[in-house]
Amino acid sequence: MTLLLAICVACVLGVSVYLILGRELKEVAMGVFLFSHAAHLGIIAMSGQPVARIAGEAVGLKTPPVLGVGPTAGVDPLPQALILTSIVISFAVTAYLLTLLVVTYRRTASLWVDDLAQEGRPGEPVWTDGAGEKGAA
Amino acid sequence: MMLDSRWIVLLIVLPMATAIVTTFVRRRFALQRVIGLTSLLASLSLSVMWLIPAAGGEVITAQMGGWPAPFGITVVFDAMSGLLLTSTQFVGLAALIYASGALSPLTERRWFHPLAHLLIMGVNYSFLTGDLFNLFVAFEVMLMSSYALLCAGGSRRQLSQAYKYVVLNLIGSGFFVLGAGLVYGMLGTLNYAALARVVAASANGGPALPPAFPVVATMLLFVFALKAAVFPLWFWLPDTYHTTPISVAALFGGLLTKVGVYAMLRLLPMVFAAPAVQGDSPIVAIVAVAAGLTMTVGIMCALAMRSVRRALAMTLVAHIGFPLLGIALMTPMAMGGALVYSVQSMLVVAGMFLCCGIVERLAGTDDMDKLGGLHRRAPWLSVLMLVGAMSTVGLPPFSGFYGKLMILREAFDPSLGVAWRVLAFAVIVSGALTLVVMAKMYARVFWISPEGEPALQSHLSFPGRTGGLRGAYVSAWLLIGGSVLIGLAPEGLVSSSLVATREGGEPRAYVTAVLGDEAWTEEGAAATLPIYEALAEAKEHGGTDHGAH
Repeated sequence: MTLLLAICVACVLGVSVYLILGRELKEVAMGVFLFSHAAHLGIIAMSGQPVARIAGEAVGLKTPPVLGVGPTAGVDPLPQALILTSIVISFAVTAYLLTLLVVTYRRTASLWVDDLAQEGRPGEPVWTDGAGEKGAA
Repeated sequence: MMLDSRWIVLLIVLPMATAIVTTFVRRRFALQRVIGLTSLLASLSLSVMWLIPAAGGEVITAQMGGWPAPFGITVVFDAMSGLLLTSTQFVGLAALIYASGALSPLTERRWFHPLAHLLIMGVNYSFLTGDLFNLFVAFEVMLMSSYALLCAGGSRRQLSQAYKYVVLNLIGSGFFVLGAGLVYGMLGTLNYAALARVVAASANGGPALPPAFPVVATMLLFVFALKAAVFPLWFWLPDTYHTTPISVAALFGGLLTKVGVYAMLRLLPMVFAAPAVQGDSPIVAIVAVAAGLTMTVGIMCALAMRSVRRALAMTLVAHIGFPLLGIALMTPMAMGGALVYSVQSMLVVAGMFLCCGIVERLAGTDDMDKLGGLHRRAPWLSVLMLVGAMSTVGLPPFSGFYGKLMILREAFDPSLGVAWRVLAFAVIVSGALTLVVMAKMYARVFWISPEGEPALQSHLSFPGRTGGLRGAYVSAWLLIGGSVLIGLAPEGLVSSSLVATREGGEPRAYVTAVLGDEAWTEEGAAATLPIYEALAEAKEHGGTDHGAH
């Protein structure tokens, strides 16, 4: 099972790296989203044996101390809690990144990395403490 | 009045509450500023209040919801967190004072105040948290608000650069989640203290760490190095700091990179490059080489920059190398030096960015080729910036000196290999080149005018608010003055930094404060915790219960 998950993670990661290396920001964004999925899949595989042992007994959070049922009676809930938290965060970040892309496209009329690189060359003075009014024009 | 130790979460809750409250009054600037300044003053005094016992060696902990340490969420306030927290509140306060007078109404209306407080909340949270996953969450809180602050105003130029920062940090976050998950899978816990205990136990005859542990450690090192803008991972920084409003640049420059440094300072000696795992781990070598390259290549880039902001940003990056070298040396003295340097550098970097903001407002540009002769118009600004520049260089009476001295002293230890002496030499070269950068910048801004003409005659009209530089001066004086005080009386900072790092790779006091009195024993492996005994009991009961079904 762990091997299967490992192969899945590797495939998803490979695709996401391929996308991140693209020259268009939409691809890059998709690659970043896939990357976080790969990370979450990786955490699922993390419910195996813990290292810390005391007198031969594995201890640590991986043996959930559910009262009345015993520590060995369930799946370790913590990786799931981690993934849940991380999914919520990546939702928010995904929404932000997509918004940023839309706004960037409206302002610069391009999502190609090469075009955007032209905008940011050093040398010219930049107005930022009040840049909004000028930049919007 | 001494508050119960549980109240240390106030340092997280207070900025969060401020952010929420200011969201509801976002069109009333004056009210937002008053609320924000009050909240920052309150958290500044709170962190000073707790810093006093913490600097004496006490580790103040709070277990959220009363769950005991490796199971619940732990918040820890020790001398290291305390020093960084205090200077964070100070920098936040100064940046907010500056922003109150300088920010364009458009930017200020676009959620500047809530976002700035959320950023400070994320920074405080990362300094306080006691486990790896909460560190990830804290980073995310901090990054989300920094993404938004980066685009505040939404000019074409800002937007065309913003994606770099966002995408890179998202990749970093992906690695962080994956790394934290793998650490949990390997060691069975995420709590710093419990991790330190497992790692130390493995050196004292306990179960061996998995062979892939250095890989995961390197993965997390990548994340922290990205946050700290260490040599190969710094390229996003000058572009992004170039485009933000100056008060935001001061916040970013003062705080964000230091969070990465803090994460390394806390976690490398304790867990990921602890003496126990150093044998088969490349981490110390990676950190040392990255430190050397950061400080030399970074300062050479700063030499080439023609705008004040970019020169400051690159100098900031180059100087991340000094604390990094202190971390790589991993002796209490060197790490103490790293901490001293980071704390003073927060104030100095933010102060220099604010000075640069005043220059921009007076002269209309930060381009060194167009500036000149500003000394006649603003002599006090010239004094401020000179003092700030000398602190940046680290000349003896100023604050940058002491941290570097502590690191250098350890690097020149004759028992170490020649490679360390090369790195120490790099520190000195980098310091000398910083002097060149700063002298060039100071001369270009305040003395020389291009072609003998006073450049200021042709200055462009400033599109933001022009009236009232008083707030800007107050904030710059606060920061630079603070760093001068550190320079003149470094005793307190140095001694409390040494308290913070006195344990090196054997964090006995930290672990016992978090996990309980029995947690750190010489045998390590056989150490028992009350909670594990309870667990074993529960298992026995569970067995019988299960059998009854």
